[in-house]
Amino acid sequence: MDDPVAALIAKCAAADRVAFRALYRDTSAKLMGVLLRMLRERTEAEDALQEVYTRVWLRAGRYDPAKGRGMTWLIAIARNLAIDRLRARPEAQSDDGLDTVQDSAPRAETRLVAQGEARRMADCFGTLEPDRADAVKGAYLNGYSYVELAARHAVPLNTMRTWLRRSLLKLKECLDA
Amino acid sequence: MTDAPLTPHEADDALAAEYVLGVLSLSERAEVEARLKRDAAFADLVSGWEHRMAGLNDGFEAAPAPDLLPRIEARLFPRAPLPKRRSGLFGWLSGATVAAVLALASIATLAPPHQEPIARLATEDNRLVYAVTHFGDTMQITRVAGVPAVAGQVHELWIIEPDSAPVSLGLLEDKPLVITLPDPPETYVLAVTVEPEGGAPGGIPTGPVILKANVGDAA
Repeated sequence: MDDPVAALIAKCAAADRVAFRALYRDTSAKLMGVLLRMLRERTEAEDALQEVYTRVWLRAGRYDPAKGRGMTWLIAIARNLAIDRLRARPEAQSDDGLDTVQDSAPRAETRLVAQGEARRMADCFGTLEPDRADAVKGAYLNGYSYVELAARHAVPLNTMRTWLRRSLLKLKECLDA
Repeated sequence: MTDAPLTPHEADDALAAEYVLGVLSLSERAEVEARLKRDAAFADLVSGWEHRMAGLNDGFEAAPAPDLLPRIEARLFPRAPLPKRRSGLFGWLSGATVAAVLALASIATLAPPHQEPIARLATEDNRLVYAVTHFGDTMQITRVAGVPAVAGQVHELWIIEPDSAPVSLGLLEDKPLVITLPDPPETYVLAVTVEPEGGAPGGIPTGPVILKANVGDAA
């Protein structure tokens, strides 16, 4: 298995602080990208980045390479923190960010068509109705809540939830096939 | 799509997906996180979705990150400098004698009376003090001053034979820690580190040494 990030996380679990520095050097730009896109504010993203690496060090022993690549694990920690912070924001504040986010969204989504693993992902998203595929991607990449998704797609909240749950299960069927 | 109701398994799987996607409210997320801790099968559904959705991670473009390492390290490793070269975290080499002694040790439930002080683990200002006493085959560690580690962290007690790797004796929480341990020699060192909740992963100390004393140093 060629996963240098996973190897560094394993060393962090053994209290190797030199490996921790290397991990920060090699992965912080990607995690900063995740936090900036989701939180949409540099100061908050930087504060969150500090918290993310603190968690990474403290939880390194729980990382299981059999369950996924090192970078996937790191991004999951960053996304979870960003989502918790977004959900804790007063509703009005998250609505303010909607316009800026829309601009950056399509660019990243076209990039999805590009390579290997993402190629398969793009094919499976192609089996969903376009607006539902957009809802799933918007939630994952931008951290939209059900409330925000319902507003964006102009459907009632319950309809959005039914749509999304069905779409996710359909996506799974395709990805696991 | 037809709208037949989801089976219970499908509903769990959809909930795991919603959690990973991040669309749930804060209170729903808290419920899911509580369940993750007690339901391993559900936790597997969540990691399955993390893996499945990883194909979308290319959508996150890298952005220049400031060097926050000094701040992160100051928070994680207070007062403990980065070790010079590879001398092990505390400069302890590996060895197995302590492990052999401890093979006999087990956690006792009751502390016998008339404990004799054998060590005192204290900060210079005595704001945090653990008294270590011994009687018969039992060693007891009691916090006599100060407070436990902050939420999410725990104090862990280690015993170190000269030139050997530290061996964990257990976590120091509110109740005194009682260990069955026949006479520890005076050359042994006791140390307390700050570790993540649940103790040092893999039985290797990760946090800073906050307290240290030789066995026999009870003054």
